[in-house]
Amino acid sequence: MNMKTMHAVLEAVGRQPTFASVDTTWIRVEREAFAPLVHVLVHEHNLPLSLLFGTDDRRERKGFGIHVVLSLDEAHEWLVVSTEVPESDPAYPSVTSSVMAAHWYERLLSDMFGVTPAGHPDPRRLVHHENVPLGTHPLRKDFAWDAKLSHDDVPYPMHHVAGEGVYEIPVGPIHAGIIEPGHFRFNVAGERIITLEGKLFFTHKGVEKLLEGRTPDEAMPFIERVSDDMSPSHALAFCLAVEKLCDAEVPQQARLVRTLLHELERLTMHIHDLSNMAGMGTGYSVAAAQGFRVKEDLVRLSARLLGNRFWRGVIVPGGVARTLLSEERVDVEKTVASVCAEMHALLKVFLVSDGLHERLETTGVLPLETAKAYGALGLPARASGLDRDVRRDHPYAAYLAPELLPRVVTQKAGDVYARYRMRVEELQTTEQVIQKLLPMLSADGFLRMDCQPRDGMALGAVESWRGEILTIVRIKDGKIDRCFPRDPSFCNWALFGELGPGNIVPDFPLCNKSLNLSYSGTDL
Amino acid sequence: MSPLLLTVIQAVLVLGLAPLTVGLVRWFKARLQGRQGAVPWLPYVALATMLRREMVISESTSWVFRLVPFVVCATGVFLVLILPLVSTGSALSAYSHFMLVAGVLALGSVFLVLGGLDSASAFGGMGSSREMTIASLVEPAVFAVFAAFAVASGHATIDGMVQTGGAALLVTPALLFSLIALVLIALAENARYPVDNPATHLELTMVHEAMVLEYSGPYLAMVEYASALRLTVFLLLLANFTVPTSFLFHPSAWQTGATAAVLVGTFLKLLLGSFLLALLETSIVKMRFYRMQEYLSLAFVIALAGLLLTLFL
Repeated sequence: MNMKTMHAVLEAVGRQPTFASVDTTWIRVEREAFAPLVHVLVHEHNLPLSLLFGTDDRRERKGFGIHVVLSLDEAHEWLVVSTEVPESDPAYPSVTSSVMAAHWYERLLSDMFGVTPAGHPDPRRLVHHENVPLGTHPLRKDFAWDAKLSHDDVPYPMHHVAGEGVYEIPVGPIHAGIIEPGHFRFNVAGERIITLEGKLFFTHKGVEKLLEGRTPDEAMPFIERVSDDMSPSHALAFCLAVEKLCDAEVPQQARLVRTLLHELERLTMHIHDLSNMAGMGTGYSVAAAQGFRVKEDLVRLSARLLGNRFWRGVIVPGGVARTLLSEERVDVEKTVASVCAEMHALLKVFLVSDGLHERLETTGVLPLETAKAYGALGLPARASGLDRDVRRDHPYAAYLAPELLPRVVTQKAGDVYARYRMRVEELQTTEQVIQKLLPMLSADGFLRMDCQPRDGMALGAVESWRGEILTIVRIKDGKIDRCFPRDPSFCNWALFGELGPGNIVPDFPLCNKSLNLSYSGTDL
Repeated sequence: MSPLLLTVIQAVLVLGLAPLTVGLVRWFKARLQGRQGAVPWLPYVALATMLRREMVISESTSWVFRLVPFVVCATGVFLVLILPLVSTGSALSAYSHFMLVAGVLALGSVFLVLGGLDSASAFGGMGSSREMTIASLVEPAVFAVFAAFAVASGHATIDGMVQTGGAALLVTPALLFSLIALVLIALAENARYPVDNPATHLELTMVHEAMVLEYSGPYLAMVEYASALRLTVFLLLLANFTVPTSFLFHPSAWQTGATAAVLVGTFLKLLLGSFLLALLETSIVKMRFYRMQEYLSLAFVIALAGLLLTLFL
C-alpha cells in the first residue's frame, strides 16, 4: 500500500509548511485561495475536514484568523490551513459551498466573530436565536463576557414544506422526558417525515469566552462540565492539546489511568445507550429497567472511587491527580467483570426479540456518502462504514502501545440496528482494553509532570464514546487565548435532517436515541 | 334477587375496582421487570389528587373540549351498567345488543378524538389522526366477533351470549377464533401493547396519551377513570366468555353461598387478566406504527374466520 505522507500532500498542492510540530503541520494562505485549497485537500486528497474555527487576531495582525483542521489518518497527522480576513472587510469565500462538513462551523463563525463566509448556502444564524440583537459577536475580544444584551426579534426562519395534507409538528424545546432543551420541526405527510430540522443552542454557557484568560489548571472545571456524560474525554482532549505546548512526556502510569477512565466512561455510556435504545426507544421496558440498573453499578463505582458519578477530577494537565490503590483496582476489576457479564446475559435476551429487530432494522438509515459529506464522527459514522477512530488514527495516551489498541469495529447498514450492534461489539473491545490495562497499573510511580505551556496553538483529539473530540488551544503568556473544545455532537446533529426523512414520526425518538447527542456539548 | 339490585351490585363493584385494575397491571409490570413498583391502589390516590387540582385549559379550545370528559366517562359507565360483567340478566341487560355496545365504544373513541383535535395542539392532532386510523380498522373486527357469538348463541345481546358462553365455546369450537380476535381488539381498544404504550413519555410515539395531553385536573381524572373502566370492562368480558357462568350472579339461580364465589371470582378474573396483560407488555416490543394495519387486519381475518366457521359448520 502506498502510504500517503504529509510531505506528498503538500507537494501535490504546491504549498510550503509555515510551521510543523509533533503531528501537526500549519500552512497559511491568502483568503481567496483558502476555500479552493480546502476543496482540493478534501475532495482530491481525501483529507476529512475535522474542524473550522476563528480567532480574533485584531491586536497582533489587524484581522480575524480562520483555520481549517484536516486529518491525514494514514500518517496520524493533522494539517491546519489558516487564512486571515481584515477587520475592515471581515468576509471570505465560503468553504461550505463545496465542502458540506463546514456548514455549521461557518454559521457559528458568522455568529461568534461576525466574519461572513460569502456564498454560504444557508447563511442563517446558528447559535443566536431571534432574541439576540444584530451585531452581537461574543467571541470578539472587545465583547465583555458579562455584557447584558437587549431583546431583539431577528427572523430565524425554519424549513417549511407546503402542500395538500402536509403539516408541521413543532416539538420542544421543553420535552416530556428529563433531557436537555432542543426544538425539532417536522414537516410530515401523514406519518411520513418529509423534512426534519433541529433548532438547538438553548443551553449557551459561554464556555469559550469564560476560558479566555485562564490558566490550563483553572480551565479544567469548565472543560469537565462541557458535557457531563463525557467528562474524562473532554478533559483528556484538552490536556493533550495543552501538553503539546509543554516539553515533557506524560508519565506512563498517568497514561494508563487516563485510558482506564476514558474506557470506563465508554463502558458506562454504551450500557446506557443499549438499554435506552431497546428500552425507551421501542417500549421494550424490561430492557430499560434492567440495563439502567447495570449502568448504575458503574456510576456508583465512580462515586466510590472518585467521589463523583462522572469519572471526573482525575485527568489534569501534565498527567493525573491520583492513581488507583490496589484494593480500588480490585474493586474496578470485580465491578467491570460483573457488569459486563450481566449485560451480556441481558443482551442475549434482547437480541433474540423479533420485535426489537423489527423496530431497529431499516430505521434511520445514514448512507455512507452522507456520513462522509457531513463529516459524521464516531460510532454513527462507523455504523455506516466510515472506518475512522481517533484511537487508531491519532493514537494518544495508552493506545500508543499497539497491544492496548482496540480493534476498530465497523458496520455497513447504517441503520439503528447497525448502531446497536456497534455498541454491543464495542462493549466487548472496551472490556478487553480494561482487562489488559488493570494489571499494568501500580500504586507508585510518577503521575504528573510539571506543565508550563509555551505560547502557541495545539490540537488534542480523543475518541470519546460519542466520537472524536477535537480541542484547539491557543496559549498566550501561560494563559488561554482561545479554546474550542469541539464535541462530536456538533458535527452529528445535522445528520437528523438526513436520516429522519422517509421514516415515520413515531420512530424519530428511536433514531434520536441511536445517536444520543449532547445538547450542552454542542452549545458551548 | 331482583335484577335491579344486581345492576347496583355490578355498578358498585366494577366502578370501584376499575382504578385497582390499572394499578394491578402497573404493579405486575414493575415486578416482572425487576422493579419495586408502586402500590396497586396508587391510581385511587392519583385520581383523588387530580380531582383537587386546578385545571389549565388552553384558550383556543371550545365547548367540545369541556364536553369530552363527560361523554367519555358516560360511555364507560353506560357499558358497566348494561354488560354482563358481574351478573347476567340484570335490569338493563336487554340493552346490551352488540350493535349498541360497538356504537357506544365508538362514541367514546370519537369524542376522545374530538378532544384531541379541539385544543389544536400538534400532539393532540397527531394522536387523534392515529386513533381514527386504529378505530376504523378495529370496527369491522368488533362486529365480526360479536356476530359470531350471536350466531352461536342465538342471542343478539351480549348478556345472552355470555349466558350460553362457557357451554357455547365447547359446542362451537370455531368461537375460539372469535375469542382470539376479541383479545387483539381489546388490546387495540384499550391503547395497550403492541398498539400503544400507555407508559411512554415520548409524545411523538403516543396515541391515546397524545389526545389527552391537554387535559388536567378533574377533566383528566374523568378521562383516566374512563380508560380504567374500559380496561376493566374488557378484562371481565373476556373472562366471562371463557369461564363458566357459575361465577356470575343471576336473578333466578341465586343462593346465599354463591355470593362469595362471584365476588372472589370477579377479583380473580381481574387479577389474572392484569397479570397476563402485564406479562404481554413486559415480553414484547411495541409495534412499528405502520405495522398496525397488519395487526388489525389479522384481528379482522381471525374474527371473520370465526364467524364463517360458526355459520357454516
